[in-house]
Amino acid sequence: MNELFRIIKDKYVILTPLFLIIFIAQFEQYSQLTSSGTFGSALRLSIPILLAGLGGLFSERTGVVNIGLEGMMIMGTWFGAWGGYMYGPWGGVLFGLIGGGLFGLIHAIATVSFQVDHIVSGVAINILAVGAARFFNILAFDGIAFASSTASPRIEGEIGKFNFPYLSGGKIGENETTSLLGNIENADIFLVSDISALLLGFTSNISYFTILALLIVPLSVFVLWRTPIGLQMRSVGEYPSGSESLGVNVYLMKYIGVIISGCFAGLAGAYLVLEGPNVYLQGQTNGRGFIGLASLLFGNYRPFGVLMGAGLFGFADALQLRSEEAIQGLLVVVGVFLIMLTIRNISQRNIRGSIGTGLLGSLFLFWFMSSTQVPIQFIYFTPHLTTLVVLSFSKQKFRMPKKVGVPYKKGELN
Amino acid sequence: MTRMKSKWLVLFIVFGLILTACGGGSDDAAEEVVADEPAETLDSPATTAAAAAEPDAPATKVCLVLDIGGLGDQGFNDSAYLGYNMGIDEFGVEGTFLEPDEGGENRGELLNLCAEDGNDLIIGNGFLFDVAMAESATNFPDTNFAITDSVIDPANARGMIFAAEQGSFLVGVAAALKTETNKIGFIGGVDIPLIHAFEVGFVAGVQAVNPDIEIDIKYASVPPDFSGFGDPVKGKEIALAQYEAGADIIYHAAGGTGIGMFEAAAEVSASTGSKVWGIGVDQDQYLTIGGAIPEVQEFILTSMVKKVEVAVYNAIKDTVNGTFTGGPVAEDVESGGIDISYTGGYIDDIKDEIEAYRAKIISGEIVVPSSR
Repeated sequence: MNELFRIIKDKYVILTPLFLIIFIAQFEQYSQLTSSGTFGSALRLSIPILLAGLGGLFSERTGVVNIGLEGMMIMGTWFGAWGGYMYGPWGGVLFGLIGGGLFGLIHAIATVSFQVDHIVSGVAINILAVGAARFFNILAFDGIAFASSTASPRIEGEIGKFNFPYLSGGKIGENETTSLLGNIENADIFLVSDISALLLGFTSNISYFTILALLIVPLSVFVLWRTPIGLQMRSVGEYPSGSESLGVNVYLMKYIGVIISGCFAGLAGAYLVLEGPNVYLQGQTNGRGFIGLASLLFGNYRPFGVLMGAGLFGFADALQLRSEEAIQGLLVVVGVFLIMLTIRNISQRNIRGSIGTGLLGSLFLFWFMSSTQVPIQFIYFTPHLTTLVVLSFSKQKFRMPKKVGVPYKKGELN
Repeated sequence: MTRMKSKWLVLFIVFGLILTACGGGSDDAAEEVVADEPAETLDSPATTAAAAAEPDAPATKVCLVLDIGGLGDQGFNDSAYLGYNMGIDEFGVEGTFLEPDEGGENRGELLNLCAEDGNDLIIGNGFLFDVAMAESATNFPDTNFAITDSVIDPANARGMIFAAEQGSFLVGVAAALKTETNKIGFIGGVDIPLIHAFEVGFVAGVQAVNPDIEIDIKYASVPPDFSGFGDPVKGKEIALAQYEAGADIIYHAAGGTGIGMFEAAAEVSASTGSKVWGIGVDQDQYLTIGGAIPEVQEFILTSMVKKVEVAVYNAIKDTVNGTFTGGPVAEDVESGGIDISYTGGYIDDIKDEIEAYRAKIISGEIVVPSSR
């Protein structure tokens, strides 16, 4: 029991908003806040961001800034579509990975072997990828029906989807099973239904590609923190000359990191194609690579942190796309939460903090009470704003790899 | 060793530049000409005037500049290209067509290039050409200009505008007659007045049949973010939410984003067992998107057809005949430039009602609103 109190005391900054969201969601007009549809949508929207973020993780852990994630993702969309067109959907996955990895290799050659400024090389990659994708598209699909300079022909077949048996009504062999979680969600029991909606969203209509992407998260933790090569890669990002003096091949480690980075960004691009319209379209990535980079910073250079960041952004994006009323509910959550922080600040005699949170909190609540409709621009801005608010109120200390962004030359002392 | 490396680096950069440049498509050579030409030669429309004045001049020259998205968008660029080809086939005019680069920054350059090249008619496909074309048309007063979806001041420029709200009204009528859940969705690409006309017309059409039908309206993005015209992932998520909330028909005016909506229709129909529909826009999407993606074809109820090709063809015809006029030229359901498609046969049973509404719009009995 004491243990439980301790957890609540430690984690109330996370637990209170969650509880508030579940509470608000009991009202009919805000029910989208915790519906299984929203969670499913959030999952699908966050996977490309997650993959891009994990890509960034591998690169930056070895000390190379990768602002070229967006470009590598674009290559992933094109190569994914090409591979899919030639060899079927799983061929698309493989070629998306290879295409991204290829541009990762270019970034590695420039930044590691030639010590080009990481930002300059990354920007060059982003520009190059747009033109290259279009060029390849014209080259490969010229004269094929329904293809053009900006769109590929359709990929036949698709990556399978499944529902978990018993939990969300999946099939065992040919027999349909009951959807236990679906029934609980429909029963509308406080908290219990909301949690089963969350589980239902994550277990029904799940693509095998999504599972693959989610498995990469624990795999990254394992590789980077539990294997010798992972230790070497991280040491290169922290203290390259020290690593080299201990016999680590610094260049090789950086190459591996940046190429893996490109591969994951390529996978993110392939996901957009294969789980989306099944064709490559120019401009399909829409800046998701940069959001992935943001989720990497949000997650403090840790795989599960990246997952949290991508998940939060995906959730807010799903809400924004699905229900404008739910965004209004979110306002109440933010307002009440800020007022609670104010009370805490007063009890801790933190006058300046309490004035800040108090003002902001009452502003949000006043906004909610006085308006029937949230301004439309605000709704579209919600994913970015939510991420910003959570980031500024979570009390974590950021620590990036020490030598990230610093070009390293063999034998150099730095 | 270092020298060797820097050689590789140079090679690498040059290769990269070539690749990037190649991405621009076939018009690159033409663009370079513009860059090399000094600006003073812009004001010399002598050849153009001569060509336009003599009816027996060898051949009329027409230049079409497409907008971002380019050829193959299965939307209004392809339509314009179709009309341009119809003109070439029919009148034997000499044609050039160009596409702007990725961000569309060189619109003005391309228009000026066409004018200098002695074209008699220059068509800019899309309202984003308005500023650039107003400038070009002022600089080349003897050349005919035409712009899609916008009206600009110069007297030698024709604004080819479309009463999209009237066609949207008709598909709204079809949706209202076909819905079984009394719930309908609308997905707009970007929250701008041009798209509001589609929304408002559609809502008016639905409510003319049954005012009790609930309409769920959602835009994929708000300006200055124009990604909502090309993000099928978002289109799919919005459509899934609307279908889940009970809508059984959704109309999109969202360009490439709409592909996601048709995917969602197919997916929802398969998983719930009851058929839901999507309504296409601009072209007869039963043939265009349905042709490219056969899996979604049976879920395309109808399309609001905006015949950019008719307006482009007319502009070419008028130029050839010497009857070209500037100012706004509106295409609507009366002129046939705006239409509803019956391909697929899903709305043949309600054709009489739809045609009755079309007659009322033409007679002026119903005035369809075009703005909020």
